[in-house]
Amino acid sequence: MYSYHGTIRVLVQVLWAYPLCGWTFGSELTFELPDNAKQCFYEDITIGTKCTLEFQVVTGGHYDVDCRLEDADGTVLYKEMKKQYDSFTFTAAKNGTYKFCFSNEFSTFTHKTVYFDFQVGEDPPLFPNENRVTALTQMESACVSIHEALKSVIDYQTHFRLREAQGRSRAEDLNTRVAFWSIGEALILLVVSISQVVLLRSFFSDRKTTTTRVGS
Amino acid sequence: MVSVKCILGSVYALYFHIGETEKKCFIEEIPDETMVIGKYRTQLWDKQMGSFLQTSPGLGMHVEIKDPDTKIILSRQYGSDGRFTFTSHTPGEHQICLHSNSTKMALFAGGKLRVHLDIQVGEHTNNYPEIAAKDKLTELQLRARQLLDQVEQIQKEQNYQQYREERFRMTSESTNQHVLWWSIAQTLILIFTGIWQLKHLKSFFEAKKLV
Repeated sequence: MYSYHGTIRVLVQVLWAYPLCGWTFGSELTFELPDNAKQCFYEDITIGTKCTLEFQVVTGGHYDVDCRLEDADGTVLYKEMKKQYDSFTFTAAKNGTYKFCFSNEFSTFTHKTVYFDFQVGEDPPLFPNENRVTALTQMESACVSIHEALKSVIDYQTHFRLREAQGRSRAEDLNTRVAFWSIGEALILLVVSISQVVLLRSFFSDRKTTTTRVGS
Repeated sequence: MVSVKCILGSVYALYFHIGETEKKCFIEEIPDETMVIGKYRTQLWDKQMGSFLQTSPGLGMHVEIKDPDTKIILSRQYGSDGRFTFTSHTPGEHQICLHSNSTKMALFAGGKLRVHLDIQVGEHTNNYPEIAAKDKLTELQLRARQLLDQVEQIQKEQNYQQYREERFRMTSESTNQHVLWWSIAQTLILIFTGIWQLKHLKSFFEAKKLV
């Protein structure tokens, strides 16, 4: 009785812990990077894991950011300055904490919104406690290929959404700039033309008094 | 053995450092009726040991979530390990902000806090082994359910895309209108001020008997 309960408890623990470990942790985040700021993220990776880091600047300034990826010993694996979008795949050669940083230190007053997707390892299987001895049936392998295709559709949708957000941000910027500068220019036109006339009038008024003084 | 090894390792893999009063915000642009689950774990820096503590009781994080209209939909205090969840009712950019509520950090921790964060959106929030157990589904049925969830997410995203494209079009048309009307207005101002200048100066010079 005791050993049965004990086994069940261990089994429950394993089942609970399983979704938390091994396989993948794909992190996809969008955050705001203020001007002159640097934001770093860390992840513990085991040796031999295939990882992909993908980032894109969504809004802000010239839509560029510095990115730097270092491995556990501080060796720089990837370093690019002022990039708008990039994707970098690598296989972890060492165990340890990998670090990647985004820097907006070159910018004086524009905040940037940066999206990144850091995929570590493969996706977890649907049935964690299965150990596959028989091959997948035709139906099951069809399901698997549909699943992979849909995953790439969702991925393309994300990229499209980011590009559209970027385009929309530029369009809204353009709209406010056009409105602001149009009103500004109209005012400048009025002010300049009125002051031209006033200035000319003042020239002629002064000269008349000096000529009369010289005359007498 | 497996469970012990896994629990001791970092549970939610990606982490970053946060200062004492610092507020870190993340943006999630999602369609409506989408579920978002966020999990975090915090670790306090121990000055004496020179490393991060495994568990930090007494430490809390304040989580604030705003919807696209900047209305607060969730504002709660959680412990050092927390799990928050919300479902979007309007499509758009939702903002998830975290900040530490502890002021004792500077005294004990040298102001450094490590935050592990994991945010899952849409169909990634579904726990398939749980669903299989609850609804007693066979493997094939579970795979079909997963595919259905994925397709539903794609559909929602497409609808959201339609709504965003309309906003983009409205912005472009507004810019077009601005350019058109303000150009006409500026040209008219230019012509009229030019005419006014010439007339005014002519009458001025005639009055001064210079012409």
